Amino acid sequence: MRVIDLTLKDLRQLVRDWKTAFFMVAMPIVFTLFFGLIFGGQGGETDPRLPVAFLNNDCSSSLSASLLSLLEASSSIRPVVLDEGSAQTASELVRDGERAAALIVPVGFGQAAERLASGEAIVDGQPMKATVIVDQHQASGQTAVQAIETAVTRLLSAAQIARISTEAFEASTSFEDQAARQAYQDQALALASEAWREPPLFVTVEKAVVESELQESPANAYVQSSPGMIIQFTIHGLMMSGMIMVLERKTGTLRRLLTTPMTRAQIIAGKTLSTLVPVLVQETLLVAVGQFVFGVDYLREPVAVVLVMVALALWVCSLGLLIAAFAKIEDQVHTWSLVAMFVFSALGGAWFPLEITGKTFAAIGHLTPTAWAMDGFQNIVLRGQGLTSVLLPVSILLAYAVVFFALAVWRFRFE
Amino acid sequence: MTVHLRKAIDIALKDLIRSFRNVFGLVMMFLVPILLTAMMYFAFGTLFRGDGGFDVPLTRVQVANLDVPSPQLGGFSAGQILLEFLQDESLSNLLQLSEAPDEASARGAVKNQTADVAIIVPSNFTAAVLEPEGTARVTLVQDPTLTLGPSIVKGLVSQLADTFSGAKIAAGTVARQFGQRGVPVKPQMFQDIATEYATWAAEVGQARADGMHPALDVQAPLSKAEPRSWGAEVAGLVMVGMMIFFAFFTGANTAGTIISEQENGTLARLFTTPTTHTAILGGKFTGVFVTVLVQVLVLTLLTTAIFGVHWGMPLTVSLAVLALVIVVSGFGVFIISFIKTTRQQGSVLGSVLTLAGMAGGLFTTSLSTPPRAFEIIQLLTPHGWALRAWKLALAGASAGEVALPVVVLLGMGAVFFAIGALRFRKRFA
Repeated sequence: MRVIDLTLKDLRQLVRDWKTAFFMVAMPIVFTLFFGLIFGGQGGETDPRLPVAFLNNDCSSSLSASLLSLLEASSSIRPVVLDEGSAQTASELVRDGERAAALIVPVGFGQAAERLASGEAIVDGQPMKATVIVDQHQASGQTAVQAIETAVTRLLSAAQIARISTEAFEASTSFEDQAARQAYQDQALALASEAWREPPLFVTVEKAVVESELQESPANAYVQSSPGMIIQFTIHGLMMSGMIMVLERKTGTLRRLLTTPMTRAQIIAGKTLSTLVPVLVQETLLVAVGQFVFGVDYLREPVAVVLVMVALALWVCSLGLLIAAFAKIEDQVHTWSLVAMFVFSALGGAWFPLEITGKTFAAIGHLTPTAWAMDGFQNIVLRGQGLTSVLLPVSILLAYAVVFFALAVWRFRFE
Repeated sequence: MTVHLRKAIDIALKDLIRSFRNVFGLVMMFLVPILLTAMMYFAFGTLFRGDGGFDVPLTRVQVANLDVPSPQLGGFSAGQILLEFLQDESLSNLLQLSEAPDEASARGAVKNQTADVAIIVPSNFTAAVLEPEGTARVTLVQDPTLTLGPSIVKGLVSQLADTFSGAKIAAGTVARQFGQRGVPVKPQMFQDIATEYATWAAEVGQARADGMHPALDVQAPLSKAEPRSWGAEVAGLVMVGMMIFFAFFTGANTAGTIISEQENGTLARLFTTPTTHTAILGGKFTGVFVTVLVQVLVLTLLTTAIFGVHWGMPLTVSLAVLALVIVVSGFGVFIISFIKTTRQQGSVLGSVLTLAGMAGGLFTTSLSTPPRAFEIIQLLTPHGWALRAWKLALAGASAGEVALPVVVLLGMGAVFFAIGALRFRKRFA
């Protein structure tokens, strides 16, 4: 009972500072919305494909016209035709981030591509090439250049097929004249280009989710940002409790508690509960917002979600207690809480998936408790898995909590 | 005049010493921006190797090859060709391949997270390659939390599927054109066509793998900036966002000492001295300006020393520094003029600065194609204009090219300062 009284006392102190409490709930909602909109809205308002500038200086060639058609059939990019402008304009568009890439078709490209199909070198031994301007360090740039290469390769393929068909016909019979030959070749090119719009052997991608609803639902941009921001701001929330403990130590209140019949263990338990309760309340509110506002389906496995929330909260409490054990003044609580929030959030994949980082960073990141918390949430909302899928992440979070608690209790000073 | 100026300088110096003795302040001014930049550098800066390849985690792939070989062609199997293609040594730094006995095992491996991608080669794959009207679909089942690895696998599988498709399209085109002209097709012809096409496709595929597409020349966007490593580029972009964000934070917090002095009563006592209100407030504001200036200079020098960031042409960078410091100082005075107590300061500053920083694009500096609406919102904030000026500087822009954002920032800084100073004069009149 005394533990409960101590907890309630601390909770009343926390609730008095309603602005900070509001900040703890409002800010993660704003961040979730922001990152979800930003990363879910790339590539265009109505067409989600990456915009690629297309400058065709070889308008008289049917081959170059076929290229635009092949680009339009792409599932990853959409060509945005530049009516006029130079390579510099196209380059600036890419440099300034307005286009994922730019494709510039030079004069004579169509003719050059046809000759390339015949294996002939052009123009002083140098093949004429179209220029792709792209920042390959960006994920969007990589996607764009791959899609452009595919379209151009299919175009060359169409030219190659036209040449093969023409030569096969010439070997079987003969053309009336050069015009008939050209007409045959043009027809072959048109047939092949049209066939490439729906190739006979193709690849489809499915996501490995357990439930069919998740498989069919449109991609939700908030499934990364919602759990990520829950984790980040849960860590941030421990700052308040740490501040209370440090203030009480400074003012001697904590030492005075030792003169009461309460044991040290009871005092620490009370302090821990006073951190655990607001963290759980914060998590619950944010999960509810994620569920009902952002459409992240946490409630498909409520028990699993609660397990992850409790394990995360316990680890965060242990971290808060550890900080309070070492900090002497409020500024130190501030500093270490912020550093912990940034480091654990970045390393643990709360800001961006670890998959898109370098090998070493990803490996180190997966050692952090935040990465396991993300795994736990994403197993439910993204992979569509059930209770058993969160047992490992929860166990690891609890193990971290035990270690941090042990350290904190060992180092905790009452004066 | 000289006496009042000296007193203002004394007040500014006092505030400067207090700012740079405050551990939390120093952490927020220097340590946190450097720490965040270092983490991003570590996360993304090592992604690209110097030889043009990239250093991503291996993608674990399970292949369920259900393809039925063709007995008529001596056991030819397109599925086996796909498998051998993916097992090639050149892909060993990208893929970790294993074979699954059936489709259910492959799918299960992805669900159990023992594989990242499963490739299901259908049983009619070879038949589709050989039959004129045949079609086939290769299914990739991916872990829904991943993007990069699955896209690499899709690109590779699509490349091979296109080789087979091209051979079929070639045969189909010949058959159709010959048929239209009533010319009979010799049976061996299709085999020869397929072989000729496949040889050509293999050459093109090899050229692509070597980074030498026969019809494409891939170039980076024109930049006036000095060539630099990808790591330095990442560090520069991240530090720009962090520096601007924490500069605004420093400006507002330093200006906030006015509030704490008011609460402690030291400000009132200062006003009882012969020092004019103008000198007192001027000294405070000068303290803000110099603190932020030192912060910005130290951060730019540190990132150059640690990460090799080239900030751009000296004049351009100087203008960007000046504009940033002026708008930060003005904004700090402006925002603090609305705050009554130190208790309000923490939550108000935290939320206002974070929201403005977010709207200004400071947390997404490396985003290549932001939504159009977001670009417009950015320009409504001083943070967005500061980001624009610094990104231009990083890209090697001349002083003339950065003139617009600099002028806008100076104007904003002056307006913010004027409003804030006016409000303070009224408050302390």
